[in-house]
Amino acid sequence: MKSIKRATILCIVIARLTAVPLLCEPPHPPASSPAAAIEVEMIQAGEISLPAEFQVALYENLVQELQKNGGFSQVYRDGDRNAADASGLVILHTTVTGFKQGSELKRDVTTVGGATSITLHCKFTDKEGKVLLERDITGKVKLIGDNLRATDDFAKKAATVAQETLSSDSTSSDSKKSGHKNVI
Amino acid sequence: MKFNRIILWSLLLSLEAFISVSYAQQAPAAPASIEAVQVIGLVGVKQNTKGNLKVENGSLSFAHSKSNCEISAASIQDVVTGADSQRAIGGTVGEISRLAPFGGGTALSLLRNKVDIITIQYRDSNGGLHGAIFTMPVGQAELIKQALLAQGAHTSIPTQAKSTSDSPLQSEAMELTN
Repeated sequence: MKSIKRATILCIVIARLTAVPLLCEPPHPPASSPAAAIEVEMIQAGEISLPAEFQVALYENLVQELQKNGGFSQVYRDGDRNAADASGLVILHTTVTGFKQGSELKRDVTTVGGATSITLHCKFTDKEGKVLLERDITGKVKLIGDNLRATDDFAKKAATVAQETLSSDSTSSDSKKSGHKNVI
Repeated sequence: MKFNRIILWSLLLSLEAFISVSYAQQAPAAPASIEAVQVIGLVGVKQNTKGNLKVENGSLSFAHSKSNCEISAASIQDVVTGADSQRAIGGTVGEISRLAPFGGGTALSLLRNKVDIITIQYRDSNGGLHGAIFTMPVGQAELIKQALLAQGAHTSIPTQAKSTSDSPLQSEAMELTN
């Protein structure tokens, strides 16, 4: 009787010991090492008729948000010669896929209509052009603010995506979160 | 007596002709300085900063209470003008005014000013691309654009004056093709 009990306990202990490393192991290792620098290319309007002020506001807000909250040690602008020497460089290509210019007046008067929204296809690649991440991100202004505020909304969302998935800060933030964010 | 009158009339006519010719030859004068708002883009300048914009000595300069920012006209790759409108009462006061009772906030939001927008794209010394947006009173953006183009800036959209002068040729070409 005692031998059966001992054997059962031993089996349970062995099973536990073998299971622990499997449970602790991350489900998917990161596809690439975290990037330290990012180069932001100019927003491409594509086939969408986009006013010049929206194009520039998108670009400038994106650069500023990545500098503030992107988690990259260096943010390069389109065409910056210093980016060529940067190691672990990620390049962000953005193309406008949808644009609806609302009206601030309509938003003020009706509070439900006149929203401005802008959708961009964001493609993060490495220097060789290998795609690391692709995402459609939409910026909106629904109630308060002028139409260009949609560009600020987009930039904040894009910087969050970059920070969570690609930047050198993403590893530390992942430990707080699910642990699956680094999988690209 | 009649002879004097003839001389006087001929002098007046020649003077008028001279004045009209000299006016026609003058390039559109760039305004000395325009009150403008830098919406976004200038390095070291906060968003929505009020200041004075002017084009002189081959550069675009934006002067505000804290500093003066200059961009070489030759480094400007694109100048585009546009138009928009904005709330007459903006900023924090404008936001608070939304809460005015009995629809007062809505009524205040109907008060809007038309503005001109000028958008530029330029390269810094490292080749990095920058963009900047300015708003200004109606009718000023085109003057700034023409002044910048005269000093070496480039544009993807030709000026209004040029496009209107091109239009008769275009219509003739259209007629020919038809």
